[in-house]
Amino acid sequence: MRIALRPENPVGWTEYECDDLFALDRQEREALQFEAIRHRFSQLRDKIPALQKLADKQGVHAIESFDDALRIAYDHRVLKNYPLSILENRDFAKLTSWLNKLTVHDLTQVDLTGLKTLDEWIERLEAYGMIIATSSGTTGKLSFIARSREDISGWRNAMRLGSLAATGIDSRKVRLPMFSPGYRSGNQMSVKKSSLFAYETHGGPENRFTLYDQHMSTDLLALAGKLRGAEERGDVEALGLEPALVEQRQRMIEAGRRRDADVQVFFERLIDQFRGQQVSIAGLFADLYRVAQAGMDKGMKCDFAPGSVISCGGGMKGYKGAPDNWQEIIKDFFGVDRLSTYYGFSEMTGAMPMCSHGFYHAFPHTVTMVLGPDGQPLPRKGAQTGRMAVFDLLVQSCWGGFVTGDEVTLHFDDDCECGWKTPRLGQSIRRYSEMEGGDDKITCSGTVKAYDEFMEFVMGQG
Amino acid sequence: MVATIDIPILARGRVIMPSEDDSVVFGGRAGASFRAPDPHKHVSDLLLGSARHLLDLQETPIDEIIDFLGRLGPLMALEANPYLQQAFELGLEAGGLTEPVLREVFNQLPPLFDRQRLETEIEKKIGKAYLDGWVENGKAGQSFRRVRAFGTRQLHIPAGNAPVVAAQTVIRAAMTKSDCLIKSPSNDPLSANAIVRTMIDLDPDHPVTRHLAVAYWKGGDEVLERQIIRVSRIDKITAWGGMASMQHIQKYLVPGLDLIALNPKHSISVIGKEALESEEAMAEAARGLALSVGNLNQTACACTRVAYVECDMDDDSLERLIQFGEVVYDAIQALPPQLSTPADRPNTELQAELDAIESEDEFYWMKADTINGGVIVSRFEDKVDFADDLNNRIVNLVPMPNIEDVLDRCDHTTQSVPVYPESLRESLRDKLAVCGVQRISPMVSRRETVWWGDVDDTSGLPHDGMKLEPRMVRWVVDQSGKPAPE
Repeated sequence: MRIALRPENPVGWTEYECDDLFALDRQEREALQFEAIRHRFSQLRDKIPALQKLADKQGVHAIESFDDALRIAYDHRVLKNYPLSILENRDFAKLTSWLNKLTVHDLTQVDLTGLKTLDEWIERLEAYGMIIATSSGTTGKLSFIARSREDISGWRNAMRLGSLAATGIDSRKVRLPMFSPGYRSGNQMSVKKSSLFAYETHGGPENRFTLYDQHMSTDLLALAGKLRGAEERGDVEALGLEPALVEQRQRMIEAGRRRDADVQVFFERLIDQFRGQQVSIAGLFADLYRVAQAGMDKGMKCDFAPGSVISCGGGMKGYKGAPDNWQEIIKDFFGVDRLSTYYGFSEMTGAMPMCSHGFYHAFPHTVTMVLGPDGQPLPRKGAQTGRMAVFDLLVQSCWGGFVTGDEVTLHFDDDCECGWKTPRLGQSIRRYSEMEGGDDKITCSGTVKAYDEFMEFVMGQG
Repeated sequence: MVATIDIPILARGRVIMPSEDDSVVFGGRAGASFRAPDPHKHVSDLLLGSARHLLDLQETPIDEIIDFLGRLGPLMALEANPYLQQAFELGLEAGGLTEPVLREVFNQLPPLFDRQRLETEIEKKIGKAYLDGWVENGKAGQSFRRVRAFGTRQLHIPAGNAPVVAAQTVIRAAMTKSDCLIKSPSNDPLSANAIVRTMIDLDPDHPVTRHLAVAYWKGGDEVLERQIIRVSRIDKITAWGGMASMQHIQKYLVPGLDLIALNPKHSISVIGKEALESEEAMAEAARGLALSVGNLNQTACACTRVAYVECDMDDDSLERLIQFGEVVYDAIQALPPQLSTPADRPNTELQAELDAIESEDEFYWMKADTINGGVIVSRFEDKVDFADDLNNRIVNLVPMPNIEDVLDRCDHTTQSVPVYPESLRESLRDKLAVCGVQRISPMVSRRETVWWGDVDDTSGLPHDGMKLEPRMVRWVVDQSGKPAPE
C-alpha cells in the first residue's frame, strides 16, 4: 500500500505506523530521503553559521548525491570544539556565541546577566525556546546539542515509533510506570528525554521512578576532569565553583561506592510495590543482570503483569565475567519475553530499534551512511563496514548531518528476515577511540589517563 | 614487502623457526603479517629456570662482556646486517617515520655498543668491581662485610617505536649480568630479534648470548603469562607501556617480583617573553622549538607537543604570538631531512581534529596540516583537547601571562622540557624538577654532530628520573667471621 509522504516535511512521516514506514519500497524511500536532505540543505545552508562555513569550505552549494550530504556532515567533534577553559571560567558570552553557530536561532537575544552555573545557562536558553542537552560525558568532554521547541513534535513521534517497534507498546494507548536507576533530572540527553517526554511515555513524572531523586549537575559533568586534577593538587577553590556543588560531587562519589547495593534495594522495593502491574524498566543491562542474579540467589522472582518491558542499552558494558546466558537470566527473573534494545546516540533524534532477528533498523527519518578509512563514502549496497554517519531528517533548527565515532556494519539491502525493509546495523559496534591501545603496541610517548571516581559513577547511570 | 614474515623464537643461543605444525600468525600494522613458533609450546625455552643457571654469567668478567658487545657494534650497521635491514623495511612500511629519519635512527645503533661508552656507563651506574667480585664495605683488611651486585632473571617488555629501545634492553641485560627474556612489541617485532640473532651468529655459546631469549606473544595472554611471570622464574620485570599494559602486568605481581615501570611520557617546551622581544630572538627560539618538535618526526616522548609561551592575553600580545607561530612554522619546514621530514601520508584522525577547530577562529589560529606539520596557537591559556595526539610535527603554542603557571601542567609524565632563554631555565629548573619533570635542557637549534657528544659528559645519565641498572641487580651482603686478609 502506498502512503502519502512529502520530502518537504519528514516530521509528517512520523505520523504513520511502524509497519507502513518499514514497508516502504527501497527506491521510493531513498528518493524521498534524498529530496528531503536537498530541501533541508537549501533551507538551512546560510542560516546555520557552522554549516555555512563547512559547506563553503567543501564548495557544496546544492546537494546532488548522498555523497555530497556526507561531505557536509558535521564531524562529531564539532559539537564539542569549544575550549574547555570557557566552561572553567563560566564565560557564558563566549559559550553562547560558540553555540550560536550551531543553530538557526539567534542566541544573541538571550539575556545572560546573573548566570552562575551551566545549569542556569541552559535553563535561560530553554526559556528562550531552545532545548539544550549534553552528551553523557564519558569520553571526557561534553558535547552540546542545541535543538529547539520546533523540533519537539517530530522528536516525540520518533520516540513513540522507536519504542513501539522495539517493545510493541504504543505509548499513545498504554503508559507504563518506568523504573530507571539514574537521576531524576539533568541535561544529559538520556535524562533530558525522560523528563521532556515524561507524560507521553509514562503518564507523568510521578510515574517515573529513579534511583536518585536529585538533579545531575551539568557543571560537575563538564568540569569532572578539571575537578579531579584540582582536587589532587589541593586547590579545588581556584575553580570557583559554588561550595554546594563541590559538596554534591562528594556526596555523589560516596553514593557511587554503595551504588550496587542501592540499585538492589531500589529494584526490590519496586518489584514488591508493582506486583501484578505492567511496568517498563530502563537502565543498563549490567545493572539488571546484577539485580536478577542477586534476586535469584535470594529465591526471589518478579511478578509483573504480562506485557512488561525491559529496554536497555549498553550491552554488558562495565561488567566483566557475566555468563553467556545473562539475557536469559534477566528475562527469567523479571518475567519478560524479550529484552528491547536500540542503537542511538545523543546527537540523533530517532533511535534504531532492534528487530526480531537481532539487527538495528533505521526509520526513514534517519538516513544512514557509512564512511571508509580515509573518509570516503562507501557504496550504498550490500553490507559495508566503516564509520557510521547519519542524516537526521527530524531536526529543523540545527543541522542533521553527523559523522559518528562508531565502527559499524551497515546492511543496505532490504532483505532482513524480520520483514522490515530498511537499512540495518549488525550488533558488532565499536568505538574507534577504544580500538587503539587495546593490544600490545607499546610506545614511549603518551600520557597516563587518570582514574576518576566521579566519572566512574556517572558512567553507571545508563 | 612479502605478505608473511617468519620470526623465530630466539632461545639462549638457539634459533627456533616456525613450521607447519608449530606456528601462530599475528597481524602487523603495515599490512604485513608475522608467523612465529607457538610460544605456548616453548615456555621452557623462554625461561632460564633455576637461578643457579645465572652463575656462569656472574663468573664472566664484565670486561669480557663489554668486549663482546663492542665486537657486536660494527655488525649493527644497517648496510651490513640483513636482519636489521628487514626491521628497517618493516619500519618504513609501518609508516611512523619517513625514510631519511628512520635511517638516521638505525644509524644510532652502532655507537650504542661503543666500548668506551659502555665502560663509562657501567662504571658510573654500578661500578665494575661490584659486578665482578665482592667489594669490601669498610677499610681493606679490617672490614667484616662486603657487597656485590648480582644479575637477576628479567622479563623486558620494551616499547616498539624506535629500535634503540631494543638495543638498550639487550645492553642493560648484558651489563647487569642478567638473564633476559624480551617480549617483542607488536609495533616492532623485529628489532630485538635482529640484534640478538646477530649475537647468535657472532657467538652462540657466549654467556651473554646464552642468557637472552626473544619471543612474541600477544600481550595479555594470561595462560602464557601466568606460566612465565612467577616469582620462582622471574625476579624483575621492566615494562614500557601505558595503562592497559601496566594493568595487565599488575595482575601477576606478588611480593618479591619487582616491577620497573617505564610508563609513557610527554614533553613540553617553555619559552620566556624574551623570545617575542626581537626578530632575532624569535628566530632563535623558533629554530630551537622546531627541533624539539620535529626531531624523529615527533614520534618520541622527548618531542615537544605543547609549548607554553610567556605572553599576555590582550590582542596585541596574541598577535605577536601568532607572528612567532609563523616563524616556528617556517623553522619546522626548514629542518634537515635526516632529523625531520614531511609525513608520507596524512593522519586521518588528527586531521579530523584540526578540521573541527579550523572554524573556531575566535579560539585558535592555525597553520598546520598532517603532512607538513605546523602550528596551532591557542587564544586562551590552555592546550587543545587533542594535545596528547599531536603528531606529524604539529605544535600547540599556549600563551601564559605568568610563566610559572606552567608548573601546574607538569607531572610525573613530563619527560623533557627545553627552556628558552637560559636565564629562565636556571630560574625554573628546581621548580620543574620537584613537579616531576625529568630532563631540563636549553633550547638548542642545532643537534651536535656526534649524537651523544663527549662520552664522559653524556654517559651514565638517569632514565626518566630513575637509575635503572642499580635496580636491575640484587645487592648482596657477605659477612665473615673475621676480616678478609688484604
